[in-house]
Amino acid sequence: MNIAGMGLVSARGRGVAALEQALEQGWVPPGEVEVKGLASGRLPVYAVSAETLSDKVVLAKARRADRFTRMAVLAASDALQDSGLGASVDKSRLGIIVATALGPHATTFSFLDGILDFGDAAVSPTAFSHSVHNAAASYIAMTLEARGPTLTVTHFHFAFHQALEIARSWLDQGRCDAVLVGTVDELGSVLHHVCGRMTKSAADGRITPFAFSATPETVPGEGRAFFLMTRDPDGAAYGCIKPVGGAVPDGGASLQLLDADGLAKDERAYRAAVIPGMPVAGYAPLFGGLLTGSAFEVAVAALMLKKQRRYACPVRDNPHSISLLSEPLTAPLSAVVCIKLDCSGRAASILLGRSAS
Amino acid sequence: MAVEKVLITGMGVVSAAGMNVAETLAGFSSGTRNISQTTPSLSPLDYPVFHVSAPLGDPGRFSSRTVHLTFHALDEALADAGLSQDLSGLRVGVCMGTTVASQLNDMDFYTAYRKTGQPPMEPVTGFLKSNLAEAVAFRVKANGPCVTVVNACSSSADAIGVALGWIRNGQCDLVIAGGGDELSRIPICGFSSLSVFSHEPCRPYDRDRQGLNLGEGAGIVILEPESAARRRGSRASLFVGGYDAACDAHHLTAPRPDGSGLEAAIRGSLAEAGIQTQEVGFVNAHGTATRDNDKVEGGVLARVFGTGIKVLSTKGFTGHTLGAAGALEAAFTALALREGWIPASAGFENQDEEIPIGAVRERTTVSARYAVSTSLAFGGNNASLVIGREP
Amino acid sequence: MQDKEQQLSEIRAKLKELLVSNLNIEGVTPDQIKDDDALFGEGLGLDSLDAVEIVVILQRHFGVEVKDMEKGREIFRSVNTLANYVYETKQGQK
Repeated sequence: MNIAGMGLVSARGRGVAALEQALEQGWVPPGEVEVKGLASGRLPVYAVSAETLSDKVVLAKARRADRFTRMAVLAASDALQDSGLGASVDKSRLGIIVATALGPHATTFSFLDGILDFGDAAVSPTAFSHSVHNAAASYIAMTLEARGPTLTVTHFHFAFHQALEIARSWLDQGRCDAVLVGTVDELGSVLHHVCGRMTKSAADGRITPFAFSATPETVPGEGRAFFLMTRDPDGAAYGCIKPVGGAVPDGGASLQLLDADGLAKDERAYRAAVIPGMPVAGYAPLFGGLLTGSAFEVAVAALMLKKQRRYACPVRDNPHSISLLSEPLTAPLSAVVCIKLDCSGRAASILLGRSAS
Repeated sequence: MAVEKVLITGMGVVSAAGMNVAETLAGFSSGTRNISQTTPSLSPLDYPVFHVSAPLGDPGRFSSRTVHLTFHALDEALADAGLSQDLSGLRVGVCMGTTVASQLNDMDFYTAYRKTGQPPMEPVTGFLKSNLAEAVAFRVKANGPCVTVVNACSSSADAIGVALGWIRNGQCDLVIAGGGDELSRIPICGFSSLSVFSHEPCRPYDRDRQGLNLGEGAGIVILEPESAARRRGSRASLFVGGYDAACDAHHLTAPRPDGSGLEAAIRGSLAEAGIQTQEVGFVNAHGTATRDNDKVEGGVLARVFGTGIKVLSTKGFTGHTLGAAGALEAAFTALALREGWIPASAGFENQDEEIPIGAVRERTTVSARYAVSTSLAFGGNNASLVIGREP
Repeated sequence: MQDKEQQLSEIRAKLKELLVSNLNIEGVTPDQIKDDDALFGEGLGLDSLDAVEIVVILQRHFGVEVKDMEKGREIFRSVNTLANYVYETKQGQK
């Protein structure tokens, strides 16, 4: 299936142009938030700015929507816009699949605030209805007037991979002509606290994807990446995604991207997963660590295939002397494989090709 | 190329209607409604609920009640399918629907966070281990695709739809599909704030319906391609014929008044099953007993199937089990085709003038080979499953 | 009577502020809402979810309950009808 368009929202801004700019510019230090209950009182994070989310036109039907949903609506809407197919896609056959690890937890906690502050009988129905995981998909459908199936799926490691395969089956079975598939995960004050307690914060703000450490360090991130997938060979602006595999294939790829972002307890397994003889890259240091971060790696791979340009790794610490992509390179590129491990024995890979499938 | 049949080779159900298939059918037959009231330990709000009061099986390392309910139904489904608890030799997919269990909403954790800033982390680590599909996959050593659908009230109907796709595109030899949800303070609060609760036992499709009651439970179906199932000796005769879903793209909590999303989903599922509307013997409706749902859904069912269609809502026996509802109702639909009867739609007495159809008032014989189960969700998703029985 | 008018006026002002902030009504300031503007449909464009949110606003900020949503239709017509309901219910509670 082909990638006709992409939409992204991250700490580095909104849209494909912002992604490209971030890739050319490289690593920048994260921001910092005050965190209740942590000894340090602070945590480095890659958070999406309020300015990135200020678009009253696209968000016209989302006055009640929370931050989680607003980010999703912008990214999904941008993916459709980016494809240039907005006018030609039959909206009754446009499906939506949203993958999330944690859902709109900030709104869930705000709903719990309502219970604790005002009692069970005086809670906000708006907060409740926006605390369900599929609120974002609902708003995307309303904003784009998409009347195909909408699905929200959750998994703590491979939600995006599963969502992609479901999108493929919808296209193969003729259930949809096009599917918007993407990921959404957000940071919030409680999650800052949880990250501060359960992960090791990178003191210098740098995620090191190639350290393959037994005690990896991370900087939590947040954001959205949406892809408009289609069977139409004319809709392959960013190439295609070949069937997702459990094992790691090389599939003729000449570059491998590792989604090692420091969130796992132990990242040593990535060392063994590296395909020998193939250059390695990883872009988690740009966006931060998030459970659905694989979508960002796929977005980078897709952009590389479109532009026929390989962007240098933003952080190039290389204690194991693997073959790193350390300089940008404009040269023919036909396939890229994105590798994700849960570091408990499971792997998933996504293979992207330059030509339409 | 003929599409291979996807058989339902095993089923497991647990809800207030019964702890297993046999108990549930007995309760349906007698019209028993096991309704209770919220207890202070569940919620300070006083509403009728459909609670599962009997003890559940051994949950292993999991602490979530939703996982316990799901494992209870899973064990019955595996036994029904003649399968062991270790499926590591097959390409097994797991697709589960839920709502409450997907949220990090532990009150003790959050209260401690607010008060002291130092909450215990166990609720978080427990939550991170309790993704429903991952828990099921762990229990049976499944090694195929695995994902939890969080599509609100249509979650487990959509999970069955996803499972159907996995088998049809050759990804799996077998899929465990279904869903579970527990009664919890959070949705009780939430639905109460939306003013959709009834203070009396719910009355789906009735003129005087006041709203829904929440319930809890789990439903599991084991799906296999016919050839593989027959090879291992399965004599299953029930199958999932078709599925479709369509979004209202209208409102977060209210159904599209014209019901066109639901209509598209039903027609799509019939087309996928390759059958005509007159081949459908009955519809197990979403029938939550809210004013809006039943009015919109009833209008669509009459439009698609005609006013003579037999309709029931099993929510009068189970309450609205949210993430479990779609799978429980798909299983109930399959059971009715197998048994040749549908129960009286509990709580229905008088037809609503605003709805062109009513629900069945008594246990009714059905001889058709096909039936439809519908699900409407928060967020506007509509799902429809066609269940069939081989002659 | 001066007292009643004074109280109603205060309730109306508070209601307008709460509606704009709690319902995230964009592009409208509290003083732009007229006392008799229709809140639902063509007026401010509120919907069924806003209606149940208003129930919570009345509960939390005025200590007033709306038990019957059908009866609520008339109460929720405008800021004026809402304010009258709040005032009268408060009087009844004394």
